[in-house]
Amino acid sequence: MTCSLSYQEALAAYRAGADPGPLPEPMDPDRLLSAYHPDYLPGSMTTLAVGPNAGEQCQRELAELLQAEACIDEVDLAGVPVADTDVLVIGGGGAGCAAALAAAEKGARVLLATKLRLGDSNTVMAEGGIQAAIEPGDSAQKHMQDTLRAGHHAGDPALVAALVGDGPDVIRWLIRQGMQFDQTSTGDLHTRPAGGTSAPRVVHCRDYTGLEMMRVLRESVIQHRGIEVWEQHSAVELLSNESGQKCVGAVLACRTDQSLRIVRTRSVILATGGLGRLHLNGFPTSNHLGATGDGLVLAYRLGAKLSELDSFQYHPTGLVNPPLLSGKLVTEGIRAAGALLLNAQGKRFIDELQPRDIVSAAIIRECREGRGIHPSSGGVGVWLDTAGLERSQPGLLERQFPKLLARTRIAGIDPRKEPILVYPTLHYQNGGAVIDVDGATTVPGLYAAGEVAGGIHGRNRIMGNALLEIIGFGRRAGAAAALSGHDRGPKKITLEHVNRARRALALAGLPLARRAPLMLPAYTAPGKDLTFTANRAKP
Amino acid sequence: MTETTPSGPAVELTINGMAVRAEAHMTVVEAAWANGVPRVTGVGCLEGVCGSCRILLRRGKEVGVALACETLVEPGIEVLFLPPPAAPRHQYELAELSDGWDIQARFQEIFPEAARCRHCHGCVSSCPKGIVVEEGVALAVAGHFREAGEAFFECVMCELCDTACPEQIAPAHVGLFCRRITAFFHLRPPNLIHRLEEIRQDPPGGGKEKP
Ligand SMILES: Cc1cc2nc3c(=O)[nH]c(=O)nc-3n(C[C@H](O)[C@H](O)[C@H](O)COP(=O)(O)OP(=O)(O)OC[C@H]3O[C@@H](n4cnc5c(N)ncnc54)[C@H](O)[C@@H]3O)c2cc1C
Ligand code: SF4
Ligand code: SF4
Ligand code: FES
Repeated sequence: MTCSLSYQEALAAYRAGADPGPLPEPMDPDRLLSAYHPDYLPGSMTTLAVGPNAGEQCQRELAELLQAEACIDEVDLAGVPVADTDVLVIGGGGAGCAAALAAAEKGARVLLATKLRLGDSNTVMAEGGIQAAIEPGDSAQKHMQDTLRAGHHAGDPALVAALVGDGPDVIRWLIRQGMQFDQTSTGDLHTRPAGGTSAPRVVHCRDYTGLEMMRVLRESVIQHRGIEVWEQHSAVELLSNESGQKCVGAVLACRTDQSLRIVRTRSVILATGGLGRLHLNGFPTSNHLGATGDGLVLAYRLGAKLSELDSFQYHPTGLVNPPLLSGKLVTEGIRAAGALLLNAQGKRFIDELQPRDIVSAAIIRECREGRGIHPSSGGVGVWLDTAGLERSQPGLLERQFPKLLARTRIAGIDPRKEPILVYPTLHYQNGGAVIDVDGATTVPGLYAAGEVAGGIHGRNRIMGNALLEIIGFGRRAGAAAALSGHDRGPKKITLEHVNRARRALALAGLPLARRAPLMLPAYTAPGKDLTFTANRAKP
Repeated sequence: MTETTPSGPAVELTINGMAVRAEAHMTVVEAAWANGVPRVTGVGCLEGVCGSCRILLRRGKEVGVALACETLVEPGIEVLFLPPPAAPRHQYELAELSDGWDIQARFQEIFPEAARCRHCHGCVSSCPKGIVVEEGVALAVAGHFREAGEAFFECVMCELCDTACPEQIAPAHVGLFCRRITAFFHLRPPNLIHRLEEIRQDPPGGGKEKP
């Protein structure tokens, strides 16, 4: 039986501070996930036919790109100017900047090329904070257990140990770069719990942690004499040696005049971030425009092994309303501070601080079973009870969540007075390029750091571990890349791996019409529609 | 272009010199995409935090600047996407500022123009985030770096204020400098330092723990 309500009806029925009822008996997590999590949607997975992960399961839309033809060919490279550098960093988010700074600290000449403006990234949008086990009751071991458990024990323990061990020093390094964090009245760093953590461990700068981190790192990079930055330059392909076995550079395309440039180098660090803008399974996304999975495509074509290609994070609380903010994130910090999730009947249906995949699946269940709320602009969602939180802790939203208020103010919503409508949004790529503790991929000369890399978060990430990873592993990759491979002899730069990949596609009978990486989502081209189907379909 | 215009009541405006039609709920960015306006490269976060989508906006006689992803279409407005800001002219590396006692002198060396603010409000009226830029610069000049940095808390580094400033003060970078030195010199959290000290005395895998 369905009792879903329109937005107006539900808002009229809503009372801040009303009794949300007891939590229902929790459903078995595995059953909940397999019935409602988008990774388990029928038809959402396929088996890869070519490449290092052939035979493995992969999300369908991503598989199309991994098994696509390159954007350029040898003929395109004739007469293209060549630049030389020690380390090429591709991607100007947090991981790219940390890698560039670490490589430059080791004395390498660094070129950082990025698709959009430096800092225009998922990093700048991060809100909730960054994890580091620094509280007296907390430890690296607990942090490690939480990370592995939330990831359903699919993470690589060696990588996770490196991650959690880096935590406190990463925060010190960030402070040395000039990053501020919130403090308690005694000067300690303020920590919050997060879904899936056994101790308060997330340090933050109000709900602008990513903005504070990114503007500081961006300035550090710009001011550093050893780092050259090329903005508006997308990596369209990597370059390999004659045997197609080693990465020796990349081909960059300038977005403003379409010209190509070759960069020859002894190591390349991929820091291209995630893929939310592929809108997997038709979901809206919290990601920035450049998150089109380019790094995965480039690494795969050159033969790098990837992991967890069938596991993505749908963040429980994406905005539904208004359409202009559809898919935009409401930080988990709000739930950590005590905001509840309520269905159309004003009842709680899940422990809000369960891991994200569980909470998302529960929201989708409520909506699919007719306990969702339907705004007139289309879509469906449940309440995030910000008004109830404000009632129990007056002034908290203004003090700790200014970004949420600034954003909703533009949309004419006041979360202090009314609850906000939320639905899961495509947020994070759990897997990525397989790396070791130095960020080295399975291809010599090619490193990966940040969201493009995999192996740490298993099949589900907890809040704050991504920001820790991009700095910790960004620095690891930068330092290792700067010190690696001093074979400065004559080096042939080829597209041998592209030829090899094309032969494999032809052999497998796959079409060669599709080209990747995408660089930008299709709707930035003329006449494309901007609506997402995922939560628009009737249950 | 009419064939690509979505149905529904249309708003007519100009973007980069091109006449376009858009739906009323669209932002300037969506309108540009829907109409295939060329040279729209500075778009990223679509939520007003990356500061890339700088536009010049003309409403009748009134001219201003804004962020395109936060600006809804209006009938008759003229929008011009601005080129990215020039590289900053003020050079410094934090690690070279070792002594907090001479920080005011160093600030004057790095940002000599800041003391010449002529209070024209250009920066304030161009800031899409409502930051009291001019006041922030004055606080910095007076050596109140913490307060100055706090004034720039919601700054997204769009550098529209830098573009507007006739004295080339680069207020955005002044603000960021203030925030950075505040952390660099004064953020010494006991709980973090305590944990770092524990790790120093007993490093993981340092022989004391079992492997
Ligand atoms: C809204 C939001 C909130 C979040 N909140 C948190 C949080 O509170 N805590 C947390 O730990 N994590 C959070 N995350 C996740 C975290 O922010 C990201 O996983 C992390 O910042 C990724 O960093 P990155 O450097 O790997 O990638 P990004 O920061 O996305 O940077 C990638 C860069 O590569 C560039 N690029 C892409 N393709 C190419 C190409 N072909 N050529 C050249 N350049 C290219 C992009 O333009 C971009 O500049 C959040 C994510 C989002 C989207
Ligand atoms: S202070 Fe300057 S750089 Fe910062 S948001 Fe305002 S105009 Fe943009
Ligand atoms: S624009 Fe420059 S000169 Fe004018 S008030 Fe702002 S800082 Fe001062
Ligand atoms: S696109 Fe980032 S501020 Fe507009």
